[in-house]
Amino acid sequence: MARPDVLSLDELAAALRAQPGEAYLWSLPRFAARAQQRLSVPAVPSLDDLPEKARVLIVLGGGARIDEAKLWRRDVRPGLRLIAIPSLWGSGAEASPVVALDRDGKKRIELDDALLPDARCVWPELAEDLPEWRAREACGDAWSHAVEGFLSPLGGEGLRAEIAQLLRSMIALPLGRDAAWFEASAAACAAQARAGVGLVHGIAHAIEGPLARDLRPDERAFGHARLCSLFLAPVLALNRELSPKFDDFTAAHGVDGAAVLAVADALFDRTSYRRTLGVLEANWRSVLLDPCSRTNSALVRPQHLTFFTEERFR
Amino acid sequence: MSNHDKLRELIIDTFLLDPSEYSLDLARESVDTWDSLGIVSMAVGVHETFGYHFTPEEATGIERVSDIVRVLESKGISFAA
Repeated sequence: MARPDVLSLDELAAALRAQPGEAYLWSLPRFAARAQQRLSVPAVPSLDDLPEKARVLIVLGGGARIDEAKLWRRDVRPGLRLIAIPSLWGSGAEASPVVALDRDGKKRIELDDALLPDARCVWPELAEDLPEWRAREACGDAWSHAVEGFLSPLGGEGLRAEIAQLLRSMIALPLGRDAAWFEASAAACAAQARAGVGLVHGIAHAIEGPLARDLRPDERAFGHARLCSLFLAPVLALNRELSPKFDDFTAAHGVDGAAVLAVADALFDRTSYRRTLGVLEANWRSVLLDPCSRTNSALVRPQHLTFFTEERFR
Repeated sequence: MSNHDKLRELIIDTFLLDPSEYSLDLARESVDTWDSLGIVSMAVGVHETFGYHFTPEEATGIERVSDIVRVLESKGISFAA
Protein backbone atom coordinates (compact mmCIF):
# COMPACT_ATOMS: atom_id res chain seq x y z
CA MET A 1 0.00 0.00 0.00
CA ALA A 2 1.22 3.52 -0.80
CA ARG A 3 2.19 5.67 2.14
CA PRO A 4 2.52 9.45 2.30
CA ASP A 5 5.98 10.96 2.39
CA VAL A 6 6.97 12.08 5.86
CA LEU A 7 8.39 15.58 6.27
CA SER A 8 9.67 17.46 9.25
CA LEU A 9 8.44 21.00 9.65
CA ASP A 10 11.84 22.36 8.56
CA GLU A 11 11.82 20.15 5.46
CA LEU A 12 8.33 21.31 4.56
CA ALA A 13 9.23 24.96 5.07
CA ALA A 14 12.32 24.55 2.88
CA ALA A 15 10.33 22.80 0.15
CA LEU A 16 7.76 25.59 0.16
CA ARG A 17 10.48 28.26 -0.05
CA ALA A 18 11.85 26.50 -3.15
CA GLN A 19 8.48 26.79 -4.93
CA PRO A 20 7.01 30.12 -3.79
CA GLY A 21 3.45 31.03 -4.66
CA GLU A 22 2.22 27.49 -5.23
CA ALA A 23 1.06 26.48 -1.76
CA TYR A 24 -1.88 27.53 0.37
CA LEU A 25 -2.85 26.68 3.91
CA TRP A 26 -6.26 25.59 5.18
CA SER A 27 -5.90 25.49 8.94
CA LEU A 28 -7.82 25.30 12.16
CA PRO A 29 -8.28 29.01 12.95
CA ARG A 30 -6.34 28.82 16.22
CA PHE A 31 -3.20 27.58 14.45
CA ALA A 32 -3.48 29.61 11.25
CA ALA A 33 -1.34 32.61 12.21
CA ARG A 34 1.38 30.41 13.69
CA ALA A 35 1.48 28.16 10.63
CA GLN A 36 1.47 31.06 8.17
CA GLN A 37 4.43 32.56 9.96
CA ARG A 38 6.36 29.29 10.19
CA LEU A 39 5.68 28.14 6.63
CA SER A 40 5.39 31.52 4.89
CA VAL A 41 2.26 30.55 2.98
CA PRO A 42 -1.08 32.35 2.67
CA ALA A 43 -4.11 30.84 4.35
CA VAL A 44 -7.57 30.35 2.84
CA PRO A 45 -10.70 30.47 5.01
CA SER A 46 -12.36 27.60 3.13
CA LEU A 47 -11.46 25.06 0.49
CA ASP A 48 -13.68 26.83 -2.03
CA ASP A 49 -11.47 29.90 -1.64
CA LEU A 50 -8.39 28.07 -2.91
CA PRO A 51 -7.09 29.91 -6.02
CA GLU A 52 -6.96 28.06 -9.33
CA LYS A 53 -3.20 28.64 -9.48
CA ALA A 54 -2.63 26.64 -6.28
CA ARG A 55 -0.54 23.50 -6.76
CA VAL A 56 -0.18 22.49 -3.12
CA LEU A 57 -2.73 22.45 -0.31
CA ILE A 58 -1.51 22.19 3.24
CA VAL A 59 -4.25 21.15 5.63
CA LEU A 60 -3.63 21.61 9.34
CA GLY A 61 -6.13 20.30 11.85
CA GLY A 62 -7.76 17.26 13.39
CA GLY A 63 -9.12 14.20 11.65
CA ALA A 64 -12.33 15.80 10.42
CA ARG A 65 -10.57 18.74 8.76
CA ILE A 66 -7.96 16.50 7.16
CA ASP A 67 -10.67 14.12 5.92
CA GLU A 68 -12.62 17.05 4.43
CA ALA A 69 -9.49 18.12 2.54
CA LYS A 70 -8.83 14.54 1.35
CA LEU A 71 -12.34 14.18 -0.02
CA TRP A 72 -12.35 17.65 -1.58
CA ARG A 73 -8.99 17.11 -3.27
CA ARG A 74 -10.14 13.81 -4.77
CA ASP A 75 -13.49 15.12 -5.97
CA VAL A 76 -12.72 18.73 -6.91
CA ARG A 77 -8.97 19.20 -7.51
CA PRO A 78 -7.41 15.76 -8.11
CA GLY A 79 -4.15 17.24 -9.44
CA LEU A 80 -3.45 19.13 -6.24
CA ARG A 81 -0.63 17.97 -3.95
CA LEU A 82 -2.03 17.48 -0.45
CA ILE A 83 0.11 17.77 2.64
CA ALA A 84 -1.49 17.02 6.00
CA ILE A 85 -0.32 18.36 9.36
CA PRO A 86 -2.27 16.79 12.24
CA SER A 87 -2.92 19.09 15.17
CA LEU A 88 -3.53 16.04 17.34
CA TRP A 89 -2.87 12.29 17.14
CA GLY A 90 -5.59 9.67 17.26
CA SER A 91 -7.48 9.71 13.99
CA GLY A 92 -4.41 9.01 11.88
CA ALA A 93 -6.25 10.71 9.00
CA GLU A 94 -2.96 12.08 7.70
CA ALA A 95 -1.70 8.56 6.96
CA SER A 96 -4.81 6.79 5.77
CA PRO A 97 -6.81 6.39 2.53
CA VAL A 98 -10.02 6.34 4.59
CA VAL A 99 -12.36 9.23 5.34
CA ALA A 100 -15.04 9.13 8.05
CA LEU A 101 -17.14 12.27 7.96
CA ASP A 102 -20.45 13.32 9.51
CA ARG A 103 -23.10 13.81 6.87
CA ASP A 104 -26.69 14.51 7.96
CA GLY A 105 -26.02 13.06 11.40
CA LYS A 106 -24.53 9.83 10.01
CA LYS A 107 -20.99 8.74 9.30
CA ARG A 108 -19.94 8.63 5.68
CA ILE A 109 -17.01 6.25 5.37
CA GLU A 110 -14.96 5.80 2.22
CA LEU A 111 -11.81 3.90 1.43
CA ASP A 112 -9.98 4.94 -1.73
CA ASP A 113 -6.26 5.17 -2.51
CA ALA A 114 -6.98 8.55 -4.12
CA LEU A 115 -7.85 9.87 -0.66
CA LEU A 116 -4.36 9.33 0.72
CA PRO A 117 -2.44 12.59 1.29
CA ASP A 118 0.80 12.90 -0.68
CA ALA A 119 2.76 13.82 2.42
CA ARG A 120 2.31 14.27 6.13
CA CYS A 121 4.24 16.54 8.41
CA VAL A 122 4.68 16.17 12.15
CA TRP A 123 4.67 19.39 14.18
CA PRO A 124 4.90 18.12 17.77
CA GLU A 125 4.67 21.56 19.37
CA LEU A 126 1.04 21.86 18.27
CA ALA A 127 0.07 19.40 21.00
CA GLU A 128 1.96 21.17 23.77
CA ASP A 129 -1.01 23.09 25.12
CA LEU A 130 -3.53 20.33 24.51
CA PRO A 131 -5.82 19.63 27.50
CA GLU A 132 -4.77 16.40 29.19
CA TRP A 133 -8.20 14.78 28.78
CA ARG A 134 -8.12 15.46 25.05
CA ALA A 135 -4.66 13.95 24.71
CA ARG A 136 -5.76 10.88 26.66
CA GLU A 137 -8.86 10.31 24.54
CA ALA A 138 -6.80 10.72 21.38
CA CYS A 139 -4.65 7.87 22.70
CA GLY A 140 -7.84 5.82 23.04
CA ASP A 141 -8.63 6.44 19.38
CA ALA A 142 -5.17 5.27 18.34
CA TRP A 143 -5.39 2.24 20.64
CA SER A 144 -8.76 1.28 19.16
CA HIS A 145 -7.37 1.44 15.63
CA ALA A 146 -4.40 -0.72 16.54
CA VAL A 147 -6.25 -3.34 18.60
CA GLU A 148 -9.20 -3.69 16.24
CA GLY A 149 -6.89 -3.86 13.22
CA PHE A 150 -4.85 -6.52 15.02
CA LEU A 151 -7.95 -8.65 15.68
CA SER A 152 -9.72 -8.02 12.37
CA PRO A 153 -10.91 -11.10 10.46
CA LEU A 154 -9.76 -9.31 7.29
CA GLY A 155 -6.12 -9.09 8.38
CA GLY A 156 -3.51 -11.74 7.63
CA GLU A 157 -0.61 -12.95 9.74
CA GLY A 158 1.84 -10.51 8.12
CA LEU A 159 -0.26 -7.51 9.03
CA ARG A 160 -0.86 -8.88 12.53
CA ALA A 161 2.89 -9.21 13.03
CA GLU A 162 3.33 -5.60 11.91
CA ILE A 163 0.60 -4.34 14.26
CA ALA A 164 1.99 -6.48 17.09
CA GLN A 165 5.25 -4.58 16.85
CA LEU A 166 3.29 -1.34 16.99
CA LEU A 167 1.28 -2.53 20.01
CA ARG A 168 4.48 -3.34 21.88
CA SER A 169 5.73 0.19 21.29
CA MET A 170 2.38 1.73 22.26
CA ILE A 171 2.32 -0.12 25.58
CA ALA A 172 5.46 1.81 26.49
CA LEU A 173 3.82 5.19 25.82
CA PRO A 174 1.89 7.14 28.46
CA LEU A 175 -1.85 7.69 28.05
CA GLY A 176 -1.52 11.39 27.61
CA ARG A 177 0.56 14.11 26.04
CA ASP A 178 3.59 12.66 24.26
CA ALA A 179 4.69 13.64 20.76
CA ALA A 180 5.57 9.99 20.02
CA TRP A 181 1.84 9.43 19.64
CA PHE A 182 1.87 11.28 16.30
CA GLU A 183 3.91 8.47 14.72
CA ALA A 184 2.19 5.65 16.61
CA SER A 185 -1.22 6.93 15.67
CA ALA A 186 -0.31 7.34 12.00
CA ALA A 187 1.05 3.78 11.94
CA ALA A 188 -2.05 2.41 13.68
CA CYS A 189 -4.40 4.08 11.25
CA ALA A 190 -2.42 3.07 8.18
CA ALA A 191 -2.37 -0.52 9.42
CA GLN A 192 -6.07 -0.76 10.23
CA ALA A 193 -6.90 0.65 6.80
CA ARG A 194 -5.52 -2.62 5.40
CA ALA A 195 -7.75 -4.77 7.61
CA GLY A 196 -10.69 -2.82 8.98
CA VAL A 197 -11.77 -2.07 12.50
CA GLY A 198 -14.50 -3.56 14.66
CA LEU A 199 -17.28 -3.01 17.14
CA VAL A 200 -15.64 -0.15 19.05
CA HIS A 201 -15.79 1.89 15.85
CA GLY A 202 -19.22 0.53 14.93
CA ILE A 203 -20.58 1.84 18.23
CA ALA A 204 -18.77 5.16 17.95
CA HIS A 205 -20.05 5.73 14.41
CA ALA A 206 -23.64 4.81 15.27
CA ILE A 207 -24.08 6.80 18.48
CA GLU A 208 -21.89 9.89 18.06
CA GLY A 209 -24.59 11.78 16.10
CA PRO A 210 -27.53 10.78 18.35
CA LEU A 211 -25.48 11.61 21.45
CA ALA A 212 -24.69 15.06 20.06
CA ARG A 213 -28.42 15.70 19.62
CA ASP A 214 -29.05 14.42 23.17
CA LEU A 215 -26.31 16.50 24.80
CA ARG A 216 -27.18 18.75 27.73
CA PRO A 217 -25.72 22.28 27.69
CA ASP A 218 -23.41 21.48 30.61
CA GLU A 219 -22.02 18.28 29.07
CA ARG A 220 -18.80 17.77 27.15
CA ALA A 221 -19.39 16.29 23.68
CA PHE A 222 -19.04 12.58 23.10
CA GLY A 223 -16.74 12.77 20.09
CA HIS A 224 -15.24 9.82 18.27
CA ALA A 225 -12.08 9.59 20.36
CA ARG A 226 -14.01 9.76 23.63
CA LEU A 227 -16.37 6.99 22.52
CA CYS A 228 -13.48 4.80 21.38
CA SER A 229 -11.87 5.30 24.79
CA LEU A 230 -15.08 4.41 26.62
CA PHE A 231 -15.94 1.30 24.63
CA LEU A 232 -12.55 -0.33 24.08
CA ALA A 233 -12.60 -2.22 27.40
CA PRO A 234 -16.25 -3.41 27.17
CA VAL A 235 -15.83 -4.52 23.55
CA LEU A 236 -12.60 -6.37 24.30
CA ALA A 237 -14.40 -8.14 27.15
CA LEU A 238 -17.23 -9.18 24.81
CA ASN A 239 -14.77 -10.33 22.15
CA ARG A 240 -12.89 -12.41 24.71
CA GLU A 241 -16.10 -13.99 25.97
CA LEU A 242 -17.05 -15.01 22.43
CA SER A 243 -13.71 -15.96 20.96
CA PRO A 244 -10.17 -16.87 22.04
CA LYS A 245 -8.67 -14.69 19.29
CA PHE A 246 -7.43 -11.89 21.53
CA ASP A 247 -5.55 -14.28 23.80
CA ASP A 248 -4.35 -16.47 20.93
CA PHE A 249 -3.14 -13.60 18.75
CA THR A 250 -1.42 -11.69 21.54
CA ALA A 251 0.34 -14.86 22.70
CA ALA A 252 1.33 -15.86 19.17
CA HIS A 253 2.76 -12.43 18.38
CA GLY A 254 4.51 -11.71 21.67
CA VAL A 255 2.17 -8.92 22.75
CA ASP A 256 1.52 -8.50 26.45
CA GLY A 257 -2.25 -9.04 26.38
CA ALA A 258 -2.65 -8.15 30.05
CA ALA A 259 -0.96 -4.82 29.42
CA VAL A 260 -3.31 -4.10 26.51
CA LEU A 261 -6.32 -4.90 28.70
CA ALA A 262 -4.90 -2.67 31.44
CA VAL A 263 -4.67 0.21 28.97
CA ALA A 264 -8.29 -0.37 27.93
CA ASP A 265 -9.35 -0.37 31.58
CA ALA A 266 -7.42 2.83 32.23
CA LEU A 267 -9.27 4.53 29.36
CA PHE A 268 -12.66 3.46 30.70
CA ASP A 269 -14.78 5.90 32.70
CA ARG A 270 -17.92 4.36 34.15
CA THR A 271 -19.89 7.58 34.69
CA SER A 272 -19.44 8.72 31.10
CA TYR A 273 -20.06 5.19 29.85
CA ARG A 274 -23.40 4.98 31.64
CA ARG A 275 -24.44 8.29 30.12
CA THR A 276 -24.20 6.70 26.65
CA LEU A 277 -26.24 3.57 27.37
CA GLY A 278 -29.72 4.94 26.62
CA VAL A 279 -28.51 6.16 23.25
CA LEU A 280 -26.70 2.89 22.62
CA GLU A 281 -29.89 0.96 23.32
CA ALA A 282 -31.98 3.21 21.06
CA ASN A 283 -29.46 2.85 18.23
CA TRP A 284 -28.39 -0.77 18.65
CA ARG A 285 -29.72 -1.83 15.25
CA SER A 286 -27.62 0.91 13.63
CA VAL A 287 -24.63 -0.45 15.55
CA LEU A 288 -25.31 -3.94 14.19
CA LEU A 289 -25.58 -2.62 10.64
CA ASP A 290 -22.47 -0.47 10.79
CA PRO A 291 -19.78 -1.84 8.44
CA CYS A 292 -17.20 -1.81 11.23
CA SER A 293 -19.37 -3.90 13.58
CA ARG A 294 -19.78 -6.42 10.77
CA THR A 295 -16.02 -6.91 10.53
CA ASN A 296 -15.60 -7.29 14.28
CA SER A 297 -13.34 -10.10 15.39
CA ALA A 298 -16.34 -11.87 16.96
CA LEU A 299 -19.88 -12.02 15.59
CA VAL A 300 -21.97 -9.25 17.15
CA ARG A 301 -25.53 -10.47 17.75
CA PRO A 302 -28.70 -8.55 18.68
CA GLN A 303 -28.74 -10.03 22.19
CA HIS A 304 -25.25 -8.70 22.94
CA LEU A 305 -26.76 -5.31 23.75
CA THR A 306 -27.38 -6.51 27.29
CA PHE A 307 -23.70 -7.30 27.70
CA PHE A 308 -23.18 -3.53 27.56
CA THR A 309 -26.34 -2.28 29.28
CA GLU A 310 -26.01 -4.76 32.17
CA GLU A 311 -22.26 -4.10 32.34
CA ARG A 312 -21.46 -7.77 32.22
CA PHE A 313 -17.80 -6.96 31.59
CA ARG A 314 -17.14 -5.98 35.18
CA MET B 1 -29.23 -27.52 20.79
CA SER B 2 -28.93 -29.31 17.45
CA ASN B 3 -26.59 -28.07 14.73
CA HIS B 4 -29.64 -27.13 12.66
CA ASP B 5 -30.88 -24.94 15.52
CA LYS B 6 -27.44 -23.40 15.97
CA LEU B 7 -27.26 -22.58 12.27
CA ARG B 8 -30.77 -21.14 12.27
CA GLU B 9 -29.87 -18.86 15.20
CA LEU B 10 -26.60 -17.87 13.56
CA ILE B 11 -28.19 -16.93 10.23
CA ILE B 12 -31.01 -14.96 11.87
CA ASP B 13 -28.54 -13.05 14.07
CA THR B 14 -25.95 -12.47 11.36
CA PHE B 15 -28.32 -11.11 8.76
CA LEU B 16 -30.76 -9.55 11.25
CA LEU B 17 -33.70 -11.57 9.91
CA ASP B 18 -37.16 -12.04 11.25
CA PRO B 19 -37.27 -15.71 12.34
CA SER B 20 -40.09 -16.35 9.86
CA GLU B 21 -37.75 -15.50 6.98
CA TYR B 22 -35.38 -18.38 7.75
CA SER B 23 -35.28 -21.55 5.71
CA LEU B 24 -32.59 -23.81 4.29
CA ASP B 25 -33.59 -22.51 0.86
CA LEU B 26 -32.99 -18.89 1.87
CA ALA B 27 -30.88 -17.38 -0.93
CA ARG B 28 -28.16 -14.78 -0.61
CA GLU B 29 -29.74 -12.66 -3.35
CA SER B 30 -32.93 -12.28 -1.30
CA VAL B 31 -31.20 -10.94 1.83
CA ASP B 32 -29.99 -7.31 1.78
CA THR B 33 -27.53 -7.84 4.60
CA TRP B 34 -25.95 -10.92 2.94
CA ASP B 35 -23.46 -8.70 1.15
CA SER B 36 -19.66 -8.84 1.22
CA LEU B 37 -19.55 -7.73 4.87
CA GLY B 38 -22.32 -10.20 5.67
CA ILE B 39 -20.13 -12.95 4.25
CA VAL B 40 -17.33 -11.91 6.64
CA SER B 41 -19.73 -11.88 9.62
CA MET B 42 -21.19 -15.23 8.62
CA ALA B 43 -17.73 -16.79 8.31
CA VAL B 44 -16.76 -15.42 11.74
CA GLY B 45 -19.99 -16.78 13.22
CA VAL B 46 -19.56 -20.21 11.61
CA HIS B 47 -16.09 -20.43 13.11
CA GLU B 48 -17.35 -19.47 16.56
CA THR B 49 -20.31 -21.84 16.36
CA PHE B 50 -18.95 -24.86 14.54
CA GLY B 51 -15.17 -24.44 14.85
CA TYR B 52 -14.65 -24.48 11.10
CA HIS B 53 -12.91 -21.71 9.12
CA PHE B 54 -14.41 -21.22 5.68
CA THR B 55 -11.84 -20.64 2.97
CA PRO B 56 -12.51 -17.39 1.08
CA GLU B 57 -13.68 -19.47 -1.90
CA GLU B 58 -16.11 -21.43 0.25
CA ALA B 59 -17.49 -18.33 1.93
CA THR B 60 -18.08 -16.44 -1.30
CA GLY B 61 -19.40 -19.53 -3.07
CA ILE B 62 -22.30 -19.98 -0.67
CA GLU B 63 -25.55 -19.03 -2.37
CA ARG B 64 -28.07 -20.55 0.04
CA VAL B 65 -28.22 -21.61 3.67
CA SER B 66 -28.25 -25.22 2.51
CA ASP B 67 -24.79 -24.64 0.99
CA ILE B 68 -23.45 -23.94 4.48
CA VAL B 69 -24.85 -27.26 5.65
CA ARG B 70 -23.27 -29.02 2.65
CA VAL B 71 -19.82 -27.52 3.29
CA LEU B 72 -19.92 -28.23 7.03
CA GLU B 73 -21.14 -31.81 6.50
CA SER B 74 -18.24 -32.35 4.09
CA LYS B 75 -15.95 -31.42 7.02
CA GLY B 76 -17.55 -33.99 9.28
CA ILE B 77 -19.99 -31.69 11.09
CA SER B 78 -23.25 -33.57 11.19
CA PHE B 79 -26.65 -32.05 10.53
CA ALA B 80 -28.52 -35.34 10.75
CA ALA B 81 -31.82 -34.99 12.57
